[in-house]
Amino acid sequence: MSLKSIVVAALSALTLSVSGAVAADFPTKPVSLVVPWPAGGGSDILMRMIAQKTSEKLGQSVVVVNQPGAGGSLALREVADGDKSGHTFSMIATGFIAEQYGNPNAPTLDQFKVLAFVGTDPAIMAARADTGLKTLDDLVRKAKEDPGKLRNANDQPGGTSYVAASLMKLKLGIDYTLVPYAGSAPVVQAILAGETQLATPSVTDLIAQHEAGEINILAVAGVERHFLAPDVPTFTEAGYPLVTGTVRALVVPADADPAAAEVLGKAIVDALNDESFNKTARDAGFTITPMGSEEATAFMENLDKEMYPVLLEAGLVKVRQK
Amino acid sequence: MTELLHATVTILTDPVTMALAVVATLVGIILGALPGISSTMTLAVLLPFSFSMEPGNAMVFLLGAFYGSAWGGSISAILINIPGTPGSMLTQLDGYPLAKRGQAGVALTYALIASTFGGVVGWFGLVIFAPTLARAGFAFQSPEFAVLMIFGLSMLAYASPGSTFLAILAGMFGLLLGTVGLDMITNLSRFDFGIPRLQAGINIIPFAVGIFGLTEILKLLEQPIVQEKAATQIGEIWPRFRDVIKTWATAIRSSIVGLIVGIIPAAGSAVAVSMSYAQEKKLYEKTETFGNGNPRGIVAAETGNNAAVGGALVPLLTLGLPGDTMTAVLVGALLIHGLQPGPQLFTKHPDFIATIYVALALTIVLTFVLSLVLTRAFAKLLSAPPRILYLGILILCVTGSFAVQNALFDVLLMIFFGALGYLFTKLGIPTAPMMFGLVLGPLLEENLRRTLVVYGDWMVFFQRPIPVVLLAITAVVLLLPFFGKVRERLARAALEAGPD
Repeated sequence: MSLKSIVVAALSALTLSVSGAVAADFPTKPVSLVVPWPAGGGSDILMRMIAQKTSEKLGQSVVVVNQPGAGGSLALREVADGDKSGHTFSMIATGFIAEQYGNPNAPTLDQFKVLAFVGTDPAIMAARADTGLKTLDDLVRKAKEDPGKLRNANDQPGGTSYVAASLMKLKLGIDYTLVPYAGSAPVVQAILAGETQLATPSVTDLIAQHEAGEINILAVAGVERHFLAPDVPTFTEAGYPLVTGTVRALVVPADADPAAAEVLGKAIVDALNDESFNKTARDAGFTITPMGSEEATAFMENLDKEMYPVLLEAGLVKVRQK
Repeated sequence: MTELLHATVTILTDPVTMALAVVATLVGIILGALPGISSTMTLAVLLPFSFSMEPGNAMVFLLGAFYGSAWGGSISAILINIPGTPGSMLTQLDGYPLAKRGQAGVALTYALIASTFGGVVGWFGLVIFAPTLARAGFAFQSPEFAVLMIFGLSMLAYASPGSTFLAILAGMFGLLLGTVGLDMITNLSRFDFGIPRLQAGINIIPFAVGIFGLTEILKLLEQPIVQEKAATQIGEIWPRFRDVIKTWATAIRSSIVGLIVGIIPAAGSAVAVSMSYAQEKKLYEKTETFGNGNPRGIVAAETGNNAAVGGALVPLLTLGLPGDTMTAVLVGALLIHGLQPGPQLFTKHPDFIATIYVALALTIVLTFVLSLVLTRAFAKLLSAPPRILYLGILILCVTGSFAVQNALFDVLLMIFFGALGYLFTKLGIPTAPMMFGLVLGPLLEENLRRTLVVYGDWMVFFQRPIPVVLLAITAVVLLLPFFGKVRERLARAALEAGPD
């Protein structure tokens, strides 16, 4: 039965690629989705789902190409300077906004045309249950008693989780030590093992431990409560308005062929709105709130504007001061 | 137990599941054998195919590819001195010399038997100890990790053949190579010489392919190519039973090391094999030489590598914590099928856990059987005419380096290290310690510096039990040869003084 569905999927992809040529001369060949992260991570898995669905809508295969390195800056620099025919697109995330100001080689937002917004996976503030912390107010009280004593597990400076931890620090008006780890799995390990008392990963990373009562998720930095943790309040509800997390958007170079970009953008937005895609992505814990090119561009520009002072404050602005 | 039986019957009697298992294992072995395609990449590429399968079938499919590729990497390591996956880097140190002596078949069989043994130990470790061992991984925090790396590095340095001085020199150079790129703690770029690509650091695969694969080709080209005459004999396929049995202690020790390192989250297979190989090298330094085709070396690396597979699944299934990038892909697969890996998976879905156990056991058996059938065919590749063989290996060197990050820069890096490796070989500087430095060095630095961020004090290394023990053993290992010499001198002095 499973084999059958694979065959069916393969056949339908084949027929689509024969019949689906819509716009004038795009796409003329397989399209590459450059994922600036290693294969196997959260963003990579989501991008593979998007590639699969976009390929169906586009009637042309979409190939995922992993080009990890230097927080994604290497691949994004190459994409920004590379193929303008619309056959190469890539993904930017929260870390990209930070990298613009931290890495002299990183491309900037104005070097890309934003095709579509995928969604925001909100960051969380989690504490070990044995700290007794249950709410953000508890955390603020405890941190003020002994500033800098609490430790938070996050990724490397400029990473999503690091930026989130810095933002929360500012918003809550408290001080804790940021301890960098190489990615989300070591972050989870650190808080579970007790090397840190706090951690700021995403909901899927710690939801099981939250349900088991080992970890308390204090708040979610989303617009609304997360569907996997309906009992956890948002930062805004708790009285500290803050929205942060892994923001994902799909981009082509700023000077890419506009006609091709439009066709590609439409296929991607169709894919993001597709019901079966939404179900698979949601099952895997991803938040999908699609936006088209215009809205997405405004969103990313606004994010850039909002994050800059925070990055400045956190000492992450080393190049391109505004 | 009843779940285990039930899962066994379900899987073995479903033709679709069995077909998936065979296909996945074969694909895994082949992709793993191709240089540059790591187990992680194999899994990531196959993941979308599993979306439409039932959860049980998806696990059979992915675990088959996972385990198959962990073994497949050793095939290219032994046959052409290029590691297919990071976990097989040490298999080639003894496997390739053995193959070069015309015993490719024997080397492959040794590796296969050893990896199956390791896989079985890893499986039992997973099934029997999973719930109790899971928390053991937590004992390894940053200070423990840092000391573990110091321990491994010092054992490797002193156990290298030839000049200890040159080995340490090469190891230091490897450590230095490991500092290239963005610094984990401050995000500042180091030693990148203005080349943006170097910000990502030196990837271990182009390094290993260059220093072992390309260097080897350069050395082979020194000799005139014999006209179309098969240079290498496949030789026997089966090693002598007596010889295999002789390595039993190594197999058991290395499996245990592999299993433990596998359970420690974020350690990974490269660390597992480094540790188990180093241990055996140190233990037998008096009686055996390694790096010249010693089967014990193959056994140590292979059992360690495959025992780590079972180990890596322990934190994944019990805590929802992926121990490495491979298991991180499996987390993705579980989530897509609505199964949240974590503490409750055991209590809520015991039947599913049983399916995973059976799937892993099945793929261990399938890998053994399939590879045994294919060993002769694999080994036969070597009897191709040298000029075709060398060309083929060169192509694999280039494509393998490129495939890791889809970057042409890595190919240039591979060529650079190939040339460097050739130069080092001519100067008599061992290259393997360089690799240990590059693998273990960054982990040492990261954990050491994080320890200081967290505890703010070097004393922490002397206040925690595991670091104290490991540091004490390291001190003994390092000082023993020295004391030996002193004792020798004293004894000689006593002897000379004696007759008077």
